[in-house]
Amino acid sequence: MKIKKLLALSLALAMALALAACGGGSATTTATPTPTAAANTYELALITDIGTIDDKSFNQGAWEGLVQYAEEHNITHQYYKPTEKSDAEYLNAISLAVEGGAKLIVTPGYLFESSIYEAQTLYPDVKFVLLDGQPHTADYKTYEIKDNVYSIFYAEQQAGFLAGYAAVKDGFTKLGFQGGMAVPAVIRYGYGFVQGAEAAAKEMGLPEGSISIKYNYSGDFAATPENQTRAASWYEDGTEIIFACGGAVGNSVMAAAEAGKDKWVIGVDVDQYAESDTVISSAMKMLGTSVYNAISDFYNGSFPGGQIVTLDIAVDGVGLAMDNAKWRTFSAADYQKLHDAMVADTDGIASSILTNTVGDTDGNGTADEFSDFLVAANLKYVTITEVK
Amino acid sequence: MSYVFFLFQQTMYFTIPLMVVALGALYSERSGVINIALEGIMVMGAFVSVLFIHTFEGQLSGQAMLLAALAIAAASGAVFSLLHAYASIHMKANQVISGTALNMMAPAFAIYIARMIQGVQQIQFTNTFRIEKVPVLGDIPFLGPLFFQKAYITTYLGVAILILAATVMYKTRFGLRLRSCGEHPQAADSVGISVYKMRYAGTLISGALAGAGGLIFIVPTTVNFNATVAGYGFLALAVLIFGQWKPYRIALAALFFGFMKTVSAAYSGIPLLADLGINSYFYKMIPYIATLVVLIFSSKNSQAPKAEGIPYDKGAR
Repeated sequence: MKIKKLLALSLALAMALALAACGGGSATTTATPTPTAAANTYELALITDIGTIDDKSFNQGAWEGLVQYAEEHNITHQYYKPTEKSDAEYLNAISLAVEGGAKLIVTPGYLFESSIYEAQTLYPDVKFVLLDGQPHTADYKTYEIKDNVYSIFYAEQQAGFLAGYAAVKDGFTKLGFQGGMAVPAVIRYGYGFVQGAEAAAKEMGLPEGSISIKYNYSGDFAATPENQTRAASWYEDGTEIIFACGGAVGNSVMAAAEAGKDKWVIGVDVDQYAESDTVISSAMKMLGTSVYNAISDFYNGSFPGGQIVTLDIAVDGVGLAMDNAKWRTFSAADYQKLHDAMVADTDGIASSILTNTVGDTDGNGTADEFSDFLVAANLKYVTITEVK
Repeated sequence: MSYVFFLFQQTMYFTIPLMVVALGALYSERSGVINIALEGIMVMGAFVSVLFIHTFEGQLSGQAMLLAALAIAAASGAVFSLLHAYASIHMKANQVISGTALNMMAPAFAIYIARMIQGVQQIQFTNTFRIEKVPVLGDIPFLGPLFFQKAYITTYLGVAILILAATVMYKTRFGLRLRSCGEHPQAADSVGISVYKMRYAGTLISGALAGAGGLIFIVPTTVNFNATVAGYGFLALAVLIFGQWKPYRIALAALFFGFMKTVSAAYSGIPLLADLGINSYFYKMIPYIATLVVLIFSSKNSQAPKAEGIPYDKGAR
């Protein structure tokens, strides 16, 4: 019996140690609290959506902006991960953050829309920064934003447009769009990509129908053999470059590109050049910058509460990664020219880009919606093959 | 013709890991231990070996690296499965619960350790393992491009493991003893076979194969490891059942699953299939519908080991 007790004791000890180690781990991710701050309160908080804090994309981008401000100004900060994807759990995580002393909470992703709708009334003294969404009830009937919420959207269609334009300008004619889940942001990227390719082909005077685009939403945000195989089959069929727009789906596309010769990938959300040598450039939205600015406004007493903004290329809300780009002919000067034209909206180049406004109320893509889009876009130079 | 080769090569990316992992499950189930921890063991094997590849990328590359990593994946899978073996054989725990615990623990462990070591949970690796063309063999008409071009050494290893697994299971004393422990452990014990030892062996072999399967799965699929194998451990269980606990049938089942998955993902790039206009969901459904049909028709006469899932109790009659 003695041995069993000893074993139990050592196990308990091991668990306690492991827990202590966990505590140590999370403490390193937070800044040292200012001496005046009470122990274990965090003024700035971020709640992750289904991704993780280091997803090299959405959550990470927002978190980096928050951390940057917090470290520059020595403010306590912490992130919270909901235990599951549900409105109730998201609200729980928000409550947890509020109890933890949060004055400003960043919630990246449209999944937070209805939780923020609740939270904005529950916690009128706490400020919320909602990325990619605006508060509404769970049944999409009532849209209401209170003074303590700042909703930020990004003009993903412009980022996608830049990517499609650059790809065609660079001499590619067989393109692919590999989306993840058909969520609003992904759809906007895709629509912009298609129209950017069309605009470039028109400008270059290419014959009609000379650009082909394979178009698919994989329905997940994961690296799977299916996603790898789909991309590989497109590359095998002659596709030269794929705009991979779905988190880890992109990693599978990169794996497929690495197996081919002269096959390229356009990354998404952040500059993904470090992920693979096949990443030619990335369509970016400046998550970190916008979060940083919102927090900075908050501390300067000018928090833009109650506002819903769409950050576009004119305010550098979106862009194309050129620092590590591997375009063959599309130069930084070409990009600058396009950038300036879009900022000035010459001939309506930026404002005429169609987005998913024709979609369902829930914002998710449908088959009908895509065909509606194709009719509305009236593409002449680009032939779309929709892959279901 | 090139599409045939392409489809075959892609099919191997699905089939080989499914087959290797299902063969692993075969060993554990034939010894009488249900192993639903395959998913977790795959994650663990892939995690440790990808971490190894990431760390030693400068020193080693190509096939030597892949073989070393495979050995490490197998070893870590075996060690991890020891937890399952100890709980379900020694402590007579419910094997489904213990397996589930491993499944839940593995990704959490992988994420936690990866973050501790390098700050982020994704572990990057460079794929230097693809064989463009096997010398001489690759030049054989038809068979060359089919089997010996754009392949991974894991494909040949997988076939070797299949033959070895079938031989050990049916042609050796060890295999006979293992199977007897899964069918009637009391009878096996009465003739002097250590049921515990046999079950430990079965579970350890399954851990080693599942761990290696995890790496085989990850290498062609992505450019970094993100603590997941996308449910292929569970799919391997379906392959095991579809294959009715027999090695060669398992290989056929894995090939069938792999081919259907490949077609559903790749049909858009293959003109002949794209022209058919069949929705990819149709291809995606087929393997599962087939599994259900097989289960319906074979449930009365299931080949599942009789003592599977029942902890061995020496005193029971």
